[in-house]
Parts: sequence; C-alpha cells; structure tokens
Amino acid sequence: MIASMKLIDLVDNHAERIAEQWAKNVVKNPMTPYYQKLAADRLIPQAVRLYHNFRNLFMEPKRAEASDGYFSKYAEARYKEGVPLHEAIYALILMRRQIWLYAEFQATFSTAVEKQQAIDSVSRTMLMFDYAMYFVTKKYRELMKLEWFETPNT
Amino acid sequence: MTGSLKLVNLIETHAEPIARQWARNVRKNPRTPSYHGIPEDKLVPVGMKFYDNFKQMFFTDKPADTSQHYFARYAEEHHQRNIPLNEALYALIMMRRHIWLYAEFQAIFISAVEQKQAVDSLVRTILMFDYAIFFISQRYQELIRQSIEEKLGVVNVLRMERPLGAKQGPYKTAIMIALVFSAFGLTYYYHAMLAQNIIFTHLLYIPIVLAGIWWKKKGILVAACLGGYLLLSHLLFLKGMPFTDDIIRAAMFLVIGTVVAFLSEGITRAEELYKPAN
Repeated sequence: MIASMKLIDLVDNHAERIAEQWAKNVVKNPMTPYYQKLAADRLIPQAVRLYHNFRNLFMEPKRAEASDGYFSKYAEARYKEGVPLHEAIYALILMRRQIWLYAEFQATFSTAVEKQQAIDSVSRTMLMFDYAMYFVTKKYRELMKLEWFETPNT
Repeated sequence: MTGSLKLVNLIETHAEPIARQWARNVRKNPRTPSYHGIPEDKLVPVGMKFYDNFKQMFFTDKPADTSQHYFARYAEEHHQRNIPLNEALYALIMMRRHIWLYAEFQAIFISAVEQKQAVDSLVRTILMFDYAIFFISQRYQELIRQSIEEKLGVVNVLRMERPLGAKQGPYKTAIMIALVFSAFGLTYYYHAMLAQNIIFTHLLYIPIVLAGIWWKKKGILVAACLGGYLLLSHLLFLKGMPFTDDIIRAAMFLVIGTVVAFLSEGITRAEELYKPAN
C-alpha cells in the first residue's frame, strides 16, 4: 500500500490538470463520439471528482463496497445524460490511462525500487477500475430494467 | 515489446492450466453467478481460445483491428448464453488476472531488468483488455438493440416508426385528426341523436392510446380534449342523466393517456441509449 502512496498523492495534487488532459483526450477519441459534443466545463468536474476520490477508494478496507457506491452513482449520472454504456466505460478507461500518462510525464517511477512501486500501483489501480467496469455495467443494466419493466440481457 | 515476449511465451505454453484455473475461479466467484452452472469443461476452451487470441494481439501493430472480430464473436456467444454484460466483463477481467497470478506463481519477473519487463508487459496486457472491454460492451449493446427491435416489432408498427428510421409525422397528424373528428361525431350521434350514454366511449381509447404512443406527453392533450368534449356534450345533450359515469370516463381517458405516454417515452429513451454511436 505504501508503494502506491506516491501515485495517490500525485493524482490528488494534480487532479484538475489530469482531468483537463482527460477532457481534451475524450472529446477527440474516436471510441467516445458522444463526448465530442460536450463542453470541457461539463466534462472536467466528473474527472476531478473521480481523481479526488481516488485516495478514498484506494484506502478503503472494503474496496469493492466503496467502489460499488461511487461507481453506481457515476453510472446513474452518465445514464441520465444518455451516454451509451460502451462509451461511458471507455471514458473511464481513458481516465485511468490519463493517470498513467501523467505519472510517466512526471517521471514518478524511474529507479529500480520505483519500478516495483509502479507495478504495485498499476495492480491496485487496475483492481479499482476493474470494480468500476463491473459496477458501472451492473448499474446500467438495473436502470434499463427499470425503464423496460423487464430484464434485458445487458 | 521484447519484455512482453516472456509473458506471451508463458501464455502460449500454459494456456490450458491458466484457462482451467480461470474456469474454476469464475464458477465460484460471487460476481459471476451466471457461470456457476456452466461445466468446467465447457469453460476451459473459452479461456484457451481467448488466450490464443491474446497472443495474436500482442504481435500485431493494430491490435484493435485484429481483435475486433474475435471480441464481437465472444460477445455474441456470451449473449446467446444469457450472460449479463457485467458478468461477461468480469469474467474477462478474471482472465487477465489469471495471467498475472500464473506469471507471479511462475516467478518470471524477478531481477531489476525483469521488473522493467513486467511493467512493459503489464501496460501492454492492460491495453489489450481495454480494447476487449470496449468491443464486447459495444457488441452487447448492438445485440440488445437487435433483440429490442425484434420484441418491439408490433409496437413499432403502431408507432409508425421504422426501426431507428425516419418518423412519418404527416400521416400521424392526418390519422389523428380523422380519429378525433370521428370521436366527436360519434359522441354527438350518441348523445344528441340517440340520447344514449352507452359504451361507445371505449372506441375513444383508440386515438388516446395512439396519441400517447406517437407524441408521448404531448399526446395527453388528445385524451384531455376528448374527455372535455365528452363532458361538454353530456352537459348539452344529456341533461337529467347522471353525470358521474362520464366524469369517470373522462378521468380514465387521462389516466390511460398518461400511462401510455410514459411507457412510450421509456421505450424511446431506452432506444436512444442503444442507438449506434455515429
């Protein structure tokens, strides 16, 4: 866990800057065409919120439950905005990648010991985003069920 | 890329045991209950096929293009088995984890140089799985849209909308005007000519339901209009007859019109979500 602190601090301290980079990326990515029509000032806050919550989600002893709460709300918001599920998921993937691009840019992990820390951080970040994928798709499915009064196979 | 070769070799030579471990795990994981009833022998080939494709993705310059077809098929097979997307994705995530659990178990990244290779492999593996998650969820949406359109076959005829196609607005308006005027005429005929208050009002539900389907909340106006006309006609032509029945009828017009409007709005909203991204 200590090894991951460096990344957590980086994300928390540079949340706005990383979110701005993510917003620039997501509006021009061919896999997220829905986001192209959204203004940066609508996009940035959702990424900033996630990056500021990164520490809480990381430190939480029951990470799955914490992720469930946070990402279900995230999914609900995206669903209400009409974002297609696969794009909402890919936007999350881009948020995760942006952390790494920023971390690399800042040369946070350069020495041999730091490489080991990098592996640890990647693994933990991945675990958190794995939960994110699961809970976001699950929530979308539940919301669609409500809308359809039946169980579409999502 | 060189750093990743070690991992690819490991997957190539140990695809079967990795897939078997994955199959055992996915059959008991609480997040993948749909897999619990699938026999291990049926799951192992799924895992092995995936790991085989994974190797091919590693050696191509355009992994997204190479894998798109494979992941579309993967999604189709899982959708056919009625596995929800969240579980299909989690099973996929577990496939990735099992590569790493196996790699760790085999201790293939120990030295400092190997640690660097590990990071390289990790990053590339994640990239492959990111594409997988995207393509699978995209294909699932398409499949769901197809099944919705199939299920909505009759409803779409009533909605006078081609699946995801152009709306036929002018026809709807013309039909609705004809129906509403027929309803007015029918009400006048029964109230003014026959001085009767019998069950002809059931026919008025046709324009009410169609208006709700076609114009959603705006369609409630037709229900209100017909309800209002029914009450007015009663006041003018059926003096002395109990008013309560027609008040209840007019209220029911509004209730039915509102329910249909909300249902229609729900269908349209869900359809919007499944529309392919252009």
